Amino acid sequence: MAKPKIKPEIKTESVVAPAPKWNVVVLNDPINFTGYVVVAFVSVLRIPKAEAKRLMRQVHEEGRATVWTGERERAELLALELQQWHLSAILEVDA
Amino acid sequence: MPELRLSMTTEARTVLTDLLRLIAPAAARVSVNRARVPEADGEVAAFWTETLKAQAEEEARLLAVAFASAKGDPAIIVLRNEAQALAFLRALSAVRMALRDLVFADIPDAELEAAAELDDETLPTEQRHALACYTCFGLLQQSLVLQLDPEAFD
Repeated sequence: MAKPKIKPEIKTESVVAPAPKWNVVVLNDPINFTGYVVVAFVSVLRIPKAEAKRLMRQVHEEGRATVWTGERERAELLALELQQWHLSAILEVDA
Repeated sequence: MPELRLSMTTEARTVLTDLLRLIAPAAARVSVNRARVPEADGEVAAFWTETLKAQAEEEARLLAVAFASAKGDPAIIVLRNEAQALAFLRALSAVRMALRDLVFADIPDAELEAAAELDDETLPTEQRHALACYTCFGLLQQSLVLQLDPEAFD
C-alpha cells in the first residue's frame, strides 16, 4: 500500500471553560435576631456595617440573599463560617 | 475593648443552668442536623460535619462554665474580650436552635419570630418553661449584641 505523500494537517484547539462561580446564599430563619445577623455578616464577610444591614434586610424581607459570589473553595469556607454562626447558609452554582 | 457583662437574677441563672444541663448533650446533634452540608464532595462534607460538631461541643462547654461561674445577685457573666463575646453570642444562638428543634418544633416560624407575644397559656408546661428560657437566652443575646455594636439593630 502506498503511503500518503501528504500528511494531513490536524489542528487541535483546546477551549478552557471558565470554572463556574458559586453563590453563598443565606436563608431567613425565625430564631436569629436581626442585630445578631448583622454582627455575623460583618465578622464573616468582612463587609461594612451598612452593607451587612442591607443584606440582613434582604434576607428578612425576601427570605434569602446572595451574600457572596466567587470561586468554589472560598464559597465553601464562607458558607461553613456562616453555619458556625448558626445561620442557614447554602451554596448554589451561579446561573 | 472593655469587658462585657451580662446580668440576670439568681433565679434566672438557676433555671437556665438547669436547662443547659438537659439540652447540651443534644445541641451538637441539632447543630449538625440543621447544617446544610454539601453532599457532592464526601471529604468536604466530613470536614464540615466534624467542624460543626466540635464547635457545638465547645459552645456547650462555654455556656456551662459561664453560667456556673456567674456570681452575685444579680448573677453576672463577664466576657473579657471580643473573641469571647462573639463565641458566647454564637453559643446562645446554638442553644436557642436546639430548643426550637427539640422542644417546640411544632410552633410555626411566624409565631416563633414574635415569641414574646406568643400566647403561651395554651402550651404544655414543658414547652412553656422552655419558651421562657428561649426568650431569656434571646434577651441575653440582644444585650450582648447591643454592647458589641449599639447600631447593629435598626
